[in-house]
Amino acid sequence: MMGTTALTTLAGTATVPQFISLATKDVFKLAPAIALFPLASFFISLFLGKRMPKGGALAGIAATIASLALSVWLVIELAIGGGTYQETLYTFVGGASDSAVVEHTGVELTFGLLIDPLAALMLVIVSLISLLVHLFSLGYMNDEGETGLPRYYAGLGLFTFSMLAFVYSDNLLMAFVFFELVGVCSYLLIGFWFREDAPPSAAKKAFLITRFGDYFFLIGVVAIFATFGTTAFAGENSFVTMAADGLNPDVAAEGIDTPGVSEDTWFTVLGLLVLGGVVGKSAQFPLHTWLPDAMEGPTPVSALIHAATMVAAGVYLVARMYGFFALLPTVLAVIALIGGFTALFAATMALVKQELKQVLAYSTISQYGYMMLALGGGGYVAGVFHLTTHAIFKALLFLGAGSVIIAMHHNENMWEMGGLKDRMPVTYATFLAGSLALAGIFPFAGFWSKDEVLFETLAHGLGGSPILLIAYGFGALAVVLTGLYTFRMVFLTFHGEPRTDTAEDPETVGWSVKLPLVVLGVLSVVGGVLNMGVLKDIIGESNLFLHEWLDGATMDTDLGALSASHYSEVLEADYGAGYEVTDLSPLGPGVVALVFAVVGVGAAWYLYSGADPEPKMTRLGRVRTVLLRNYYQDEYQAWLATGLTLPFSRIADKFDRGLIDGIVNGIGTVSMVVGRQFRQIQTGVVTNYAALLAFSLLLLLFAFGFVGGWF
Amino acid sequence: MNDLGTLPDWAGLAPALALVGTALLLFLYDMIEPDSQNNLLLAGIAGIGSLTALGFAGWFLLAGTGQPDRGGAIELFDGQLVVDAMALFFMAIFASVTLLVVVASYDYLAGRANQAAYYSLVMLAATGMAVMATADSFVTAFISLELASLPSYALVASLKQNQGSVEAGLKYFLVGALSSAIFVYGISLIYVETGVLQFGEVATALASGELSGVVGLGILFIIGGFAFKTASVPFHFWAPEAYEGAPAPISAFLSSASKAAGFVLAFRVFLTALPRGSVEGTLDWVIAFQVLAIVTMTVANFAALRQEKVKRMLAYSSVGHAGFVLIALGALTSEANRSFVLGSGMAHLLVYGFMNTGAFLVIALTEHWGIGREIEDFNGLATQAPFACAALTVFLFSLAGLPLGGGFLSKFYLLLAAIDGEVALLAIALVVNSAVSVFYYTRVVKAMWVEEPADDLAIEGYPSGLYVAITFAVVLTVLLLPGFGFVLEFTSTAAETVVPG
Repeated sequence: MMGTTALTTLAGTATVPQFISLATKDVFKLAPAIALFPLASFFISLFLGKRMPKGGALAGIAATIASLALSVWLVIELAIGGGTYQETLYTFVGGASDSAVVEHTGVELTFGLLIDPLAALMLVIVSLISLLVHLFSLGYMNDEGETGLPRYYAGLGLFTFSMLAFVYSDNLLMAFVFFELVGVCSYLLIGFWFREDAPPSAAKKAFLITRFGDYFFLIGVVAIFATFGTTAFAGENSFVTMAADGLNPDVAAEGIDTPGVSEDTWFTVLGLLVLGGVVGKSAQFPLHTWLPDAMEGPTPVSALIHAATMVAAGVYLVARMYGFFALLPTVLAVIALIGGFTALFAATMALVKQELKQVLAYSTISQYGYMMLALGGGGYVAGVFHLTTHAIFKALLFLGAGSVIIAMHHNENMWEMGGLKDRMPVTYATFLAGSLALAGIFPFAGFWSKDEVLFETLAHGLGGSPILLIAYGFGALAVVLTGLYTFRMVFLTFHGEPRTDTAEDPETVGWSVKLPLVVLGVLSVVGGVLNMGVLKDIIGESNLFLHEWLDGATMDTDLGALSASHYSEVLEADYGAGYEVTDLSPLGPGVVALVFAVVGVGAAWYLYSGADPEPKMTRLGRVRTVLLRNYYQDEYQAWLATGLTLPFSRIADKFDRGLIDGIVNGIGTVSMVVGRQFRQIQTGVVTNYAALLAFSLLLLLFAFGFVGGWF
Repeated sequence: MNDLGTLPDWAGLAPALALVGTALLLFLYDMIEPDSQNNLLLAGIAGIGSLTALGFAGWFLLAGTGQPDRGGAIELFDGQLVVDAMALFFMAIFASVTLLVVVASYDYLAGRANQAAYYSLVMLAATGMAVMATADSFVTAFISLELASLPSYALVASLKQNQGSVEAGLKYFLVGALSSAIFVYGISLIYVETGVLQFGEVATALASGELSGVVGLGILFIIGGFAFKTASVPFHFWAPEAYEGAPAPISAFLSSASKAAGFVLAFRVFLTALPRGSVEGTLDWVIAFQVLAIVTMTVANFAALRQEKVKRMLAYSSVGHAGFVLIALGALTSEANRSFVLGSGMAHLLVYGFMNTGAFLVIALTEHWGIGREIEDFNGLATQAPFACAALTVFLFSLAGLPLGGGFLSKFYLLLAAIDGEVALLAIALVVNSAVSVFYYTRVVKAMWVEEPADDLAIEGYPSGLYVAITFAVVLTVLLLPGFGFVLEFTSTAAETVVPG
């Protein structure tokens, strides 16, 4: 009896990895459908959209409702104790049924699912916002009488599919595939109005610039494959775990193949390569220039793709493989610096923009900078928290802007608005909630998350990482500017007297516009409850729900290497980033951040709150011009393309056409001549054949006889 | 040894028996009602016969007949014949190709004379091939090879009123006679040395004694015999003429099934009767096959570049593919994982069986429509027959090794086989010649899809039999792309039973 029990226990520990229990709950079996519903809506909208009412919107709405329901179910399942779910769905190269491949190439490429608290949270965010954007589109696209609606809804469906699949990818290669696919959807939707001049050009720019970053990412994927032989995110044999083992002197690691440099150097290179894709996709300096142009797309698309979700893909990727980045202090410092700098840099440009969506675009860049700052500064939970709240309030602001744009008959210039608050109260109230969240005013959602970003960076920075303190300085300064540009936007748009006839008598908007605004508006007000880090000392750590969630505290099994506390351990380990945390009360820095934000808002009130505000930024003179021209970023990038790359390409073209094509054509000509000779062997005379046959045999005979030494 | 449960051992020959039975049934019908024009009945009998053979072969394959876990290979008639997984696998290829050819012939032969003779000759040739797959002795090998060849000569010449057909038949016969003579001479030289003809006994005898130079000569002559059957350089001269002159379904039959038959016998002879270890010091046939493979690939692909007639171009492509499969013999070096190498060759022959047959059947369709034979006669054909053109595109690109069909993976694994055997030259020749082949296949595709049709291009009717056969072939060609792993797994296992020790 005793023996049996012992045996069972032993078998149990041997077969089930400690950190991942393979839950067999039914809902996990349904998980692939989360992404497949929008894929189906893509096909339905594409092929049947013309024959359907609303141009295929209903299929998309139904699909996203289904995805959202399943995602929420997954969250509940995890919240009441379910374990992380990881499963390989499809092996497209290698695999057990085809052992010869693995034997001869040593490669196995798979598609699989990884559903942990992080992925489940993101699935809910993406499907929720996608649903609301579909609804909003009914008002923005259908009611405005746009043509090409099936194409529009097909694009949204394909995007939602790709994004959801990206989120639950269980390996880097699959993530890369869907990372690229969301890029394609972004391209298609930015260029939705392809008959005008600007949208196709903006689409091209977005595609090319993100592609530039993705080159590095692709090389990174291949290099990670070559180094570890796997790109899995989680599990015993994931590259994350292998990298940690490789750097940890206490663990004997094997199977890591670095090209002649030390492991930490090589891993840093790998991390920087992947970071290339992140910087491109999340619009970080210096690859941020595509995002403002991407505003040429329909506004709901801007809300979904270029604010809440796709742009988040880069940051999400860092969070997804945070166990890897947490090992690399250099890469973390780069991430924090890029993030902090981008946050400040983009905020300065947002100050002078005159078009509503442009302000929001630069604000988006700036806010993603905060997320990068958090992740680089060791605040994994803070980064994910800000990702969550930002998705909500920025989607809200974009949709609110969309509502204003409908009302203003597609005039986006804020100087031609004014006084809209009385004429569109729902839009105003929700937009204000979103703005307060964005500016970081207590107690709106953005306050809690932004504060936590800054606090985590500061706490790690004071622990002996001066670079983080610099990045913190950038971030804190950007808080003031954020308050200023946000409320400049609010005052100019909604307050004062109407400055044009359109603003005097704006078009009314329908329920399909208001409903998403209200949902997101409520979430923007209360979203902070997720993680009230500032009050940690008062409410106790166990009431920081997001932290507990990401730490796997709600699950029956240990989240292990995917948990927030594991990441902290790695960050603080000698073989990891070597960060140290100063014991600091979050209350003080929280108050400081709030004061900064209030200063910014107050400045906006002082400058723009009158009945008929003047353009105050003109007083900046030359500086304003620089800001308006976006620090000449576009100019120097265009010069890089035309002044540097183009001449080089011309030389390459000459080389290709002259030398390579010459050789190829030469080979072709020679082949043709040889072909004619060979063809002429076939004379059609059968005696010739017999003779040739006999002579060839004799030739072979002599050749082999000679070589074999028969004579 | 009995692993068919209640079935006796000889039941392992059921696929071959089904084929020969069908041939006799067709003869019987021809006796009762000579000059019958009842095409449906004749094609139906032949089709059901080949379907039965395919059914038996498929059943035995799935049941594991002749495989180690079911009692191992079945030896029949004192080891003259052997039924194992490789034999059954090839019988399945022959039966499938025969089925496709018979179904396609239903339309092709409509209104022609001597139909019963045609079908019974096809079935007899298929019987010969099936027996070739099981032959385990030089006697049965030679007889079955002749049984496959003689009906083929007649079939090539079966368009009696067509000068090209008759001329091609005669040339095929003359070259065939010469090659058979060389082959049987080679066998006799081996017999002189060993005094036995059964493959296993030959190997034992060769391994036990001091070998004279006569063995090397014999091996070379036997290689010659196979080179003829598989249409490899320099024994390929008959192929372009015969394939071009013959009715297109027969070209399909010869270039796919007959070639595979030559290879299965070659695999068995060289691995069981003349294993490399036993004939050391005489003639290293691995080297000989490497030379043949490279020469065959190169000569055929380069000659195909300059062909203006589609059918003749396909004939050269078929010769070129013999060169590709020869890699499976040329890469059997001591470094190689030999069952993997051999399995790659077998898998390629299966894929090739469908894609090449399909390509020739589309040619049969164009002949049925009376479209000319030159590439430019195909200009704009896609406007009239988009499905047939799409099918031909899949076949040609799959033959070229582009990932539209299974040909991509089967060529890729031949490349891996060449690398596995550490024969760099074979790998290079494979890649270079595949690149060359893309050019001439693309010419046809371009003509069909890009060029403007001639004014008088018109086709009448869409013959159902040909379309059914083409559809079947194209579906299998495409399905073999995702399903290739399964095939390769199977052929590698089948090859293990043949590969010595």
